[in-house]
Amino acid sequence: MITRRDLLRGVAGTVGLLGWPSGPASGEPPPETTRLRLFRSPSICVAPQYIVGELLRAEGFSDIEYVKTTSAGISKILASGEVDVSLYFVAPLVIRLDAGDPVTVLGGVHPGCFELFGTDRVRVTRDLKGKTVAITEMGQSAHVFLASMLAHVGLDPNKDVTFVEHPAAECKRLLAEGKVDAYLAFPPESQELRARKVGHVVVNSTVDRPWSQYFCCMATGNREFVRKHPIATKRALRAILKAADICALEPELAARALVDGGFTPRYDYALQTMKDVPYNKWRVYDPEDSVRFYALRLREAGMIKSAPQRLIAQGTDWRFLNELKKELKG
Amino acid sequence: MPALAHQPGRDARLPSIGAAPPFALTTADGGRLALADLRGKVVAVTFIYATCTDTCPLLTAKLAALGTRMGKDFGAKVAFVAITIDPERDTPDVLRSYAQAHGARGAGWAFLTGTPAEIKDVAQRYGVFARKTDRGDVDHTFLTSLVDRDGALRVQYMGVRFDPDEMLRDLRSLLREGGR
Repeated sequence: MITRRDLLRGVAGTVGLLGWPSGPASGEPPPETTRLRLFRSPSICVAPQYIVGELLRAEGFSDIEYVKTTSAGISKILASGEVDVSLYFVAPLVIRLDAGDPVTVLGGVHPGCFELFGTDRVRVTRDLKGKTVAITEMGQSAHVFLASMLAHVGLDPNKDVTFVEHPAAECKRLLAEGKVDAYLAFPPESQELRARKVGHVVVNSTVDRPWSQYFCCMATGNREFVRKHPIATKRALRAILKAADICALEPELAARALVDGGFTPRYDYALQTMKDVPYNKWRVYDPEDSVRFYALRLREAGMIKSAPQRLIAQGTDWRFLNELKKELKG
Repeated sequence: MPALAHQPGRDARLPSIGAAPPFALTTADGGRLALADLRGKVVAVTFIYATCTDTCPLLTAKLAALGTRMGKDFGAKVAFVAITIDPERDTPDVLRSYAQAHGARGAGWAFLTGTPAEIKDVAQRYGVFARKTDRGDVDHTFLTSLVDRDGALRVQYMGVRFDPDEMLRDLRSLLREGGR
């Protein structure tokens, strides 16, 4: 297993990232590779990585590829190296770190985007005890976030709630018909459910504490890619963080880019997502806190074994982010 | 709420991102100005367009106020360059009127236009998104880049809500560094 110390030594030894010349005329070399692969899934809360194309090209990437996957498949293709750098949901990310996946968390991009919708039988999270919750797949992002939320209010996700698996469209239909009690939605599903007045919002992670205080989506790299390509990693992260700023500052522009790029069909839902999700927090929140918070919740839920500090030591590298905070202000 | 994570120490040197993307464009007086012509000065490069009625005037006014606060250094040692991202409409005359209307006067300012291809190229290399809307407006991202006296890109500010005091500190910090 590669330890954090090995990783730091490898990166610093490869290109001297920490100590490249400090003279005013010095600067970053071009990326070690011009190819970058990111994932593409139905959720658009990861909008920064969908609108990032021009910014990546400005950073020296000429071969940008989106690998299609489901939410459940993201961890697999990040670990296998089929994608290089991407945003990923923090809760399932913590599970994968605990399982020893070779991935490196690089920084937080935005807090909260998921919303828990419930029927009239569910007013608060604790009301889920004894209820049925629809999810698309056990172990998938919604399931893991729900487990965190249940653990936070003292419920056992393995005993106190019945999860039923269905395709996303079916989950929403069952909720609308009252045949399940709750469903955790990600953009643009949450915007759609609110527009259709399906159920009601029990928890909105963009505004409800504690969820709103921690990152939801974090920039993550395949560990080997990060080790071999530290300049490319930093350049990719810079582009993604600039794209997050664009989502926050120019929501119309970002929403149009999502639709024009074929990432989502509905401009109105895309625009609402850009306005709902706090894309302006990447400089403010501490990404380590987010990993620690979810690791604690998932440990309470019995879903991971490792202590948070071990996961942080093995699976995170904030140096790129810390450098970028000095370079990119807003 | 944690303190702003990017808040630097007052004495911290700004990072060096790399050579600032070069350009040579047409000034509001009809001449040509290249970034290389400004070597020896600290330069703020930003992107606007003249028929923008909301955010561009705010950004221009903010920079104009900063220019005033720079005192005698503004023009002599510091230059602000505003590049249009609507070159079809922003002729030198239009840019001159825009500058006057928004208080961007003095030797420290340069408003630049060019051919659409030139502008597209420089905007892309600075990492600025721009697209014409059906209404004829230009949707674009706001990005102001500080370039040191040696032509190195040192820091970028996204949007228009940045702290002007912080940018002033960064400009002065680059001035203190001098040049080679």
